[in-house]
Amino acid sequence: MASIHLTNLHPGKLRQASLGKTTVVTIALATFLSSAALAETKKEYRYTVGPNANVSVDTQYGSISVKPGNSDEVVVTATFKSDNVEIDQQQNGNRIEIDSHLLHGANQQAGHVDYELQVPPDATVNLHSSNGPLSVERLKGDITLEGSDAVVNVSNVENGHVYVQTMRGSITLTNVRNGHVEIASISGDLNLKSVTGPMVQACTGSGKIFYDGDFGSSGNYRFTTHSGDIEALVSADVSADFRVHSVTGRVHHDFPLQPKHSQFPVHLGRSFVGTSGKAASEVVLRSFSGKIRLKQR
Amino acid sequence: MTDPKPGITEREAIEQAQQGNEAAFEVLYNLHKRRVYSLCLRMVSNPVQAEDLAQEAFLQLFRKIATFRGESAFSTWLHRMTVNVVLMQLRKKNLPVVSLEETLETDDQFPRKEFGAKDVKLTGSIDRMQLQRAIDRLPPGYKSVFVLHDIEGFEHNEIAQMVGCSVGNSKSQLHKARLKLRDYLKFMRAEKAKTG
Amino acid sequence: MKCSDVEQVLQELLDGEPDSAFEVCSSENTAAMRLAAPDVEAHLKSCPACAELAADLKLISNQAHQLAASEEPPSRVWVRIAAELRAEGLITEPTKIEPVSIRPAFIPALIASRARWSAWWLAPIAAGLIVAGSFVVSHQAALQVARHTPATQATNPATVSSLNPAPASVSIPGPKTAAATSPAGSEPARQELAQKPARATDLAGRAAEDAVEPAPSDEDQQFLSVVSTMAPYTRASYKNELQAVNKDILETQAYVNQNPGDMDARQHLIDAYQQKALLYQIAMDHVQ
Repeated sequence: MASIHLTNLHPGKLRQASLGKTTVVTIALATFLSSAALAETKKEYRYTVGPNANVSVDTQYGSISVKPGNSDEVVVTATFKSDNVEIDQQQNGNRIEIDSHLLHGANQQAGHVDYELQVPPDATVNLHSSNGPLSVERLKGDITLEGSDAVVNVSNVENGHVYVQTMRGSITLTNVRNGHVEIASISGDLNLKSVTGPMVQACTGSGKIFYDGDFGSSGNYRFTTHSGDIEALVSADVSADFRVHSVTGRVHHDFPLQPKHSQFPVHLGRSFVGTSGKAASEVVLRSFSGKIRLKQR
Repeated sequence: MTDPKPGITEREAIEQAQQGNEAAFEVLYNLHKRRVYSLCLRMVSNPVQAEDLAQEAFLQLFRKIATFRGESAFSTWLHRMTVNVVLMQLRKKNLPVVSLEETLETDDQFPRKEFGAKDVKLTGSIDRMQLQRAIDRLPPGYKSVFVLHDIEGFEHNEIAQMVGCSVGNSKSQLHKARLKLRDYLKFMRAEKAKTG
Repeated sequence: MKCSDVEQVLQELLDGEPDSAFEVCSSENTAAMRLAAPDVEAHLKSCPACAELAADLKLISNQAHQLAASEEPPSRVWVRIAAELRAEGLITEPTKIEPVSIRPAFIPALIASRARWSAWWLAPIAAGLIVAGSFVVSHQAALQVARHTPATQATNPATVSSLNPAPASVSIPGPKTAAATSPAGSEPARQELAQKPARATDLAGRAAEDAVEPAPSDEDQQFLSVVSTMAPYTRASYKNELQAVNKDILETQAYVNQNPGDMDARQHLIDAYQQKALLYQIAMDHVQ
């Protein structure tokens, strides 16, 4: 059952209808927005959920941040400045969907809605915003983040799968463990610090990839760029089988690797293969024209 | 947008659209766009949503146009498809298509019917804008049946089948919708008379 | 008969069939009705309130009918419909090839569930780019080995145009389910593809030439046109990114032309097409 608490209600029209177990509050729209700044409005929504809740937030413009809260409750706080944006929210069992969209005549500024969420730690979270930023921390469920220019930050997440895609926004993952990780951007930079798991894939076109970690968990790591550089900073006890190749760029490693027999053709200065430690993980670093550097801390 | 070719009939346009002719699709769109869009707009009272719904209705129709054999009127086919698209969207948003019981109304802007009945008469024609506004104010369940019956011309047995209720329920909702519209319109007319 | 009894049957009276027991009509100034049931008729004649109620409800019903087809949709609705019809191959043009859609190897699965109504057409185009890229790359190798003449194949990627480079004249059918599944409507496309195997070689050959002298891509122009219509303030961003990915594709393609045996380079070419598909899919999610 959802209960609604409203604060600083904007003096627009409010219509409330009761729909069985779900209460929907919508904001009626004004047709045109003046250029003068409007009072900030906050709306809070609370939902009671069971285990493995699924929470989706979709806003054209605005930030979304998610933190862990009580295990049986989802709390959503939406902050906006215009009544030219409409927020739809609904709960179907354990699935919650929040959707804000622009109304006629609204521009980016008017349509801006910032969200703060507290969700159960095991919740599945899906966030979608054009300009973001998007941030998620300390969760254990699956996470899906999409942004166009949004800067994305994911930290202290374990066991869940993490999927992120952006057009230009940079993606930073910090201390993400034990799940599948797939991050992709057209031109945004990808930063992975202490990211380990059974599968970690990172792909960007002209952006850079920076990895600082140990390539642990006996995982499969694949980093690919077109023209961006790749830099991997690893611990001295890294245990990995490396295959590194840049078609037209330069590659370099500053610590010794054990040679290994491979079908992979090795071109001096543009590729190398080798193992370190027990070669528990597989690491493939590829670029078309970017530089690739493998360094030890 | 190109103007429809002069002289082309709907049947010819359908045949050419089945061959993939873009102009033929456009002719069919222009022939029916107002009805489809108006229906969507009446049902959801939101122009942006109505655009999406109208687009979806036409796309669904055009995707199946190869299967159209002319056994029923093309407009009837499109009309029903549009209603299905809209009803699906309302269901998806958990909005009631038809109320199975009295809805709770807390709309203090329009007081109970006794207020206006004695003083204001709805003689003559009704202002179209006022009627549109009044329809937009209807609760979702009443609105669906009113739009489908009084505006779009569906029979109660058709409405019952489409929205998933009984014929009796459809008739009851329609009557209540009309009564409520009467109250709204009388109130609006009274307010207008006050302000001059 | 009481007023409450009459109100109970008013709806039936107003909506009854012409040959039913009750037939109602009203005039402008008086609520005059012709009824078969004498009780109701008598009551209406003697009760101004009920007569007025009946007349009002009939008036509302009649006036409502005039609202049908009263609103005109904006012109952009047709633009979107036409774009989708072209993308799905329902509007046919003679030079189009329609490859089968497959799921790209590395586009995160999240994309399929979030596509919006208004840009559904971008999804099959995105998938088609992957197919086209794979198709070109796989056939190009064989073709270029036969044609390869090092002295004549030198190409300066910097001189090529920035807007291209999808293989010429590719149109993609597809359902609403994004890039994940083979489209229901692609049966005609598969048949057409099966009937024209000779075109694969032509396509690969044309693509190789296109890398040097590219023709403008219809899909790119269409993509930017839709972005301009639906979110004009983002057009510059998408155009810049599109130019960048197209440049990457051309650059990689030129390299592959020179080095047909380089498997990694060919994989990078497929990756570059995947990036372009990702760009289309991001636009699908965000352009409204």
